Amino acid sequence: MGNASKNEAYALDMRSVSKRFPGTLAVDKVDFRVRAGEVHALMGENGAGKSTLMKMLAGLFNDYTGEIYINGEKKDLHTPNLAKEYGIGMVYQELSLARRISIYENLLVGRLPKKNPLFIDKKKAIEEAKKLLQRVGLNDIDPTLDVSEISQCDAQLVEIAKVLGSEPKILVMDEPTSALSSEEVKKLFEIVRNLQKQGMAIVYISHHLSEIFEIADMVTVMRDGKLVDSFPISETNTEQLVECMVGEPVKSFYADHKSMVTDEEVLRVEDFTRWGFYHHVNFNLHRGEVLAICGLAGSGRTEIARGLTGVDKIDGGKEYIHGKEVHFRDLGEAIKGGIGYLTEDRKVVGLALPQTVADNVTTCIIDKCGPGIVYDAKKQNGLVDEKINEMSVYPADRERLVNSFSGGNQQKVLMAKWLAADVDILILDEPTRGVDVNAKQVIHDAVKRYVSQGNACILLSSDLPEVVGLCDRAVILREGHIIGEIPKEGINENSLLIAANGEGEYVSCQNK
Amino acid sequence: MSEQINKNPNPGAPKVDTRKEEISKFSLIFNKLGIYVVVVALIIIGLIVSKGTFFAASNIQSILEAVALIGMVSAGLIFITFSGNMTDMSIPLTMAVGGMMTVQTINFGFPVAMLIGILSGVVIGFINGFMIGKLRANPIIWTWGFNLLLSGIVRVVWEGKQLYADKVAKDTEFAQNAANTFFSIARTYIGKYISLMAIIMIIMMIIAWFIHAKTKFGQKLKIIGTNYEVAKFSGINCAKTLITAYIINGVCASIGGIFFAALRKTASYENGTGYDFSCLTAVLLGGCLLNGGKGSVVGTFGGVLAYGILNNILSWIGLGTYEKYLVQGLVFLFIVWLNTYSNRKLGRA
Repeated sequence: MGNASKNEAYALDMRSVSKRFPGTLAVDKVDFRVRAGEVHALMGENGAGKSTLMKMLAGLFNDYTGEIYINGEKKDLHTPNLAKEYGIGMVYQELSLARRISIYENLLVGRLPKKNPLFIDKKKAIEEAKKLLQRVGLNDIDPTLDVSEISQCDAQLVEIAKVLGSEPKILVMDEPTSALSSEEVKKLFEIVRNLQKQGMAIVYISHHLSEIFEIADMVTVMRDGKLVDSFPISETNTEQLVECMVGEPVKSFYADHKSMVTDEEVLRVEDFTRWGFYHHVNFNLHRGEVLAICGLAGSGRTEIARGLTGVDKIDGGKEYIHGKEVHFRDLGEAIKGGIGYLTEDRKVVGLALPQTVADNVTTCIIDKCGPGIVYDAKKQNGLVDEKINEMSVYPADRERLVNSFSGGNQQKVLMAKWLAADVDILILDEPTRGVDVNAKQVIHDAVKRYVSQGNACILLSSDLPEVVGLCDRAVILREGHIIGEIPKEGINENSLLIAANGEGEYVSCQNK
Repeated sequence: MSEQINKNPNPGAPKVDTRKEEISKFSLIFNKLGIYVVVVALIIIGLIVSKGTFFAASNIQSILEAVALIGMVSAGLIFITFSGNMTDMSIPLTMAVGGMMTVQTINFGFPVAMLIGILSGVVIGFINGFMIGKLRANPIIWTWGFNLLLSGIVRVVWEGKQLYADKVAKDTEFAQNAANTFFSIARTYIGKYISLMAIIMIIMMIIAWFIHAKTKFGQKLKIIGTNYEVAKFSGINCAKTLITAYIINGVCASIGGIFFAALRKTASYENGTGYDFSCLTAVLLGGCLLNGGKGSVVGTFGGVLAYGILNNILSWIGLGTYEKYLVQGLVFLFIVWLNTYSNRKLGRA
């Protein structure tokens, strides 16, 4: 733990802060301190509470509990304007710049210098903008350009310049490198170090362990809304951080997963490419196998799933199902060819919520329901009942509207829909995101049963215990390239996380 | 310190929203059957304002005639509203072109001429369906613009003239007979009061009901109307399904246009004026959600009846054309508001 007994003033001192959302305690009595001139990394898995903590700092909640001290003075950060006034600057992951407006207008939004009440002093504005841009090392960029005309990296730097314009004392950066190449990351780090020298306190949120070790002085790990531990970066290592983030894995949950893998290849992908998303991807899938495609957000795994099922056009490569080369033009053809895709967001692309369970379960097989053009709804009732019982959907009423079910049961209906689709390869994209433990168990059992019946699954999941518990093999995807493969024996949360960061024994080739 | 956490009163209490289900049940029942309550109420009002002569033969005839045309067009429009594309603004010109093509080709005999008229509806429907279903044009803006384009084409081709079937027809017995048959389709009565138009409208409604409720196409349209992305990510060929829906709509509108031209004895570019909104009013009165995915042909039939009877009552009260527009506008806005409202109550808006 950081040495709290010293009574020196921290630039930021959050004491026992909590924030409750209906049903969950998102942040649970967290103490978080940052000194001036320090880069403090904040880490944790998705849902650990990092963003809630930072939103609290940005003044987005007026009902948090606990105390926040800034430079030793107690402040209430109840509105974004107050937070700004007290010297907190937020650099968000998604760029908050208006893309078709010039750089200087973006930089000085809300405080453009005026000649008189009607007209803006453009000359002065451009000069001010230039000064701000110099602070982030953009000396030779023309502030009158539109933001859409400059590179992603420069836009990210302009975003930082914009925040610097309000003279913050504490700068919060949320995944600032997610869209940057490694060259650009170096440039960004130089600027961060520069700001650090000027005495700014910097909170740096990232999933990339290598970055943390390069830039941070201190690191704090959160898990399930609680603060796990804080260390100076020099006293820790990758393994320790990963262990802190993951915690004790729930072993009993995935008790007896017997492998059903056979030698028969059902899917093979060669040189699969969609420029800008994934490149020269090769892997195969066997009957009875659950294969995980693992990678950080933005690694291209959802895009690969879309390419495999004909949702997106691919730029190159071959796809073989049962040894035959296939080219799907849309998902309908893919389903006929025996490959299904359970999408990640059930509310947006998964389920027709205001329709009945029966309508939803039969969505993929309308063409098979009844003779000729006739849709025989009654004939499908047996199948629908069978599938919703298999998924233990509660209440098991096929005429009930899906939007009256709980999230977990909706997800079970989505799974039932794809089991009814009668495909022998199923891609599952985050099949248990945001569902309760019970529904998760039911879905996992269904996946095991499905592969034991001679089918195969590809699992895309950010839930590491899920990958460890279900998968027979994992391929590691990083920036659109497959960089390694982990066999069943080697899959655990640490190895997955380390490999996803491009390190460790299972990474066979470092693609650039 | 620990007290601060417990500020939230009753944190463990389960949140049960009992309200939602009740309202949605009521809204659903209203959406399904409410319109027939309205129809009965309107008939009673009609009996009062007409002092009992509401059921007189001539009045029934005029209601059925007015209702028949709206009904024919609405039988197609419901597929558009149901598919989540709100409405077809090109209905007026689809009707006009259907009538004009039939009259223009009357010399080939009435059956052929009528087929050509319907074919024009197929072509217009296909273009609309291709643009909206395949290229994802905005359904309102595209059909609105297409309506204007068609209106321009029609005026240029026929130089803004009205077409009279008996004048277009050559001076042969065959052609003149065809013209007479054309006029007579709107004036044939089976029994005493039931016009052929009303019977055709009911047949079209029955076919529409079958397509909507009993076919794979109808089931696919339901999913597309509820959520286009879900349909796409379930392997439904959305473009093909939407093109089919627009073709059905085009066919129905052109049949309506042919009967309209026969009834007025002239085919002109302004024949379908006003049918875009009156048919949409009927479809929405029938319980279709403007956002798509909910609605039935049975309800639409009720909506058509209600709209026809309402107009009839307005005539009985003695409102002129201008005042009628006023009332129709108010009814339309009210029904759109009600639609949005029940939509929100169903948790969809």
